[in-house]
Amino acid sequence: MSRDSESGPSRAPRLGLGQVALEPAEPILAPGEQVRDLYRLTDPALSELPLEELLDELLNRVRDALDVDTVAILLYDEETQELVARAAKGIEEEVEQGVRIPLGKGFAGRIAAERVAIFIAELDQAEVVNPILRDKGIHSMLGLPLVVESELIGVLHVGSLTPRKFGQQELAVLQLAAARAAPAIGRARLFSELEHEHYVAMLLQRSLLPRALPETVGIQVAARYLPARDEVGGDWYDVIELPRGLVGVAIGDVVGHGVRAAALMGQLRTALHSYALEGHGPARALELVDRFVQSMGAYAMATAAYAVFDPETSRLRIATAGHLPPIIVSGGNARVLDLTPGAPLGGFPYGSCPEQEFSLATGEILVLYTDGLVERRGIALSDGINQLAAILSAARSAEHACQLALDQMVPLEGLADDLAILALCGNSVPEELRLELPADPEVLSPTRRLLRRWLRDHGVDEPALSEIALAANEACANAIEHAYPPSAASFLLTAKAVEVEETPEVVIAVRDSGRWRPPRGESRGRGLTIMHEAMDEVEINPAKDGTEVVMRRRLGQQ
Amino acid sequence: MRLADLQTSTRDGIVIARVIGEIDSSNAGDLRAAITDATPNGALGVVLDLSGASYVDSAGIHLIYRLGEALRNRGQTLRVVIPPDSPSSDALRLAGVTRHADVVEELEQGVQAVATAGAAGQ
Repeated sequence: MSRDSESGPSRAPRLGLGQVALEPAEPILAPGEQVRDLYRLTDPALSELPLEELLDELLNRVRDALDVDTVAILLYDEETQELVARAAKGIEEEVEQGVRIPLGKGFAGRIAAERVAIFIAELDQAEVVNPILRDKGIHSMLGLPLVVESELIGVLHVGSLTPRKFGQQELAVLQLAAARAAPAIGRARLFSELEHEHYVAMLLQRSLLPRALPETVGIQVAARYLPARDEVGGDWYDVIELPRGLVGVAIGDVVGHGVRAAALMGQLRTALHSYALEGHGPARALELVDRFVQSMGAYAMATAAYAVFDPETSRLRIATAGHLPPIIVSGGNARVLDLTPGAPLGGFPYGSCPEQEFSLATGEILVLYTDGLVERRGIALSDGINQLAAILSAARSAEHACQLALDQMVPLEGLADDLAILALCGNSVPEELRLELPADPEVLSPTRRLLRRWLRDHGVDEPALSEIALAANEACANAIEHAYPPSAASFLLTAKAVEVEETPEVVIAVRDSGRWRPPRGESRGRGLTIMHEAMDEVEINPAKDGTEVVMRRRLGQQ
Repeated sequence: MRLADLQTSTRDGIVIARVIGEIDSSNAGDLRAAITDATPNGALGVVLDLSGASYVDSAGIHLIYRLGEALRNRGQTLRVVIPPDSPSSDALRLAGVTRHADVVEELEQGVQAVATAGAAGQ
């Protein structure tokens, strides 16, 4: 559908950049205007604009300078090998409709594939891929590739609805605009790719850290993760609720940075968490993670520390796999734990991790951390660790330990490496227990654990310890079962140690606000039997506003 | 943290249900339902292995009785493995039900007993 037969062949002559082989075209601008328009394209103020505004402004100026009907920039998408409309003036729909043109196809596709400027005096309608250009009836076009450091970025082209001869001068103007646009687009792209990677890694890192630390009876845990100034690393921490009230705490550091390190961190954290739930102790769990890393084949290396704490006995088991030594804070002092480190994860075939067990007395704090906290340029690692220990000596709680470390060890300008810190501290149990508990069977197990710890603190040993805890549990279960709405759905458990005629005894009382109901069925009858068997005295005091069960057990004679 | 884990397997038509962890009134009902669901009508019976249970209270004893009842109604047999001096034996001892007919001291004894009872019933 040729509209102007005078305009020459529809197949365009190909122009290498800078080797325009066209017959000289009529100057379309008066000399003064031309200088002004060229200046407008090289205006240094343009480089300060954000990319969107720069492209917008540049296209406006090109359109004015060349007096064309449409100006467009298409960006090259390497993944799909397509050109995607990014900005346009005149025929903005091109952008709105997200026109995509395969490399090598049509006018723009050929410019991109062959990296040459192309002038088409009269469009062969069959050759135009872009339906919008076809519909609008574009007649003549001139376009050139956008290249930065020999890498294709996209295509810049102009078009006219009337027959036009684009020559050297128009090409020079377009080249000026391209020289301005290409590096800016290239920079912005690189930046956004880095941003994107950083964002993904960050998201991954965050999604893998525990959202909230579990609340556990008789124990306090605090932790922090801080990303590096401009990179995401592979540090992690974890708090694992284990069977029988035990608590596992882990910290680790994958060698490397970025998405890969963050992803590997996620795998290792999950592996350790799973082995821990399986019931493996610190050394064995770390050894299994090591085998896991070895089985992944790819070169991967990490360090980790894992400890299991029993809040009832205050015993702590700990092992490390090539990790920095934990610090123990105790009564205003802090010491670096003398612990033989095991092989780093993925470091050596059949690496093993020696395990240590000791008591973490009430008020003592175990602090695990990664190298990001103590490694500083120009400072020996051991000096950094000693500095951290000195700072931590003032810590009064797990939370306080994390606060002190971050306040005093993190440089103002930010971190070169990410860091994780985790502190664990055994809580003291009050001399006399007094717990107001909701009437929910879920409270039974944490209450048992707390009571066992309290009994231990009062010198009660097995088998009395388990029997008293069992009897108290039965009384609590009874109170829970009898709590009907609308009466308050809670009950009160108290435990105290007394001396009666020079014999120490434990007094457990459970008071509910429900009406006393005689035990029904075999189950509650058995509960009552257990209470009577386990304790020396069981009193049931029905009252108008509730029922109180008081149980006593004398110590040191049974 | 869930209080207990249930591991079930089948050997020669006998369901072996192993409870690892603690049993109290917060999970006894769910455990009983899960064990019943894991027992097909054609099974000879169930061996409930409590050797890995670290705590059992009267709700656990109740579970044993109710499960035994349900299985008997289907013509199946229950044996409960409770090693002497294990944490789970405390409640049974204090409740005075150690000599309960369904209780055995170790797994093989339980499997044997269910197999024998099944053979006698056929």
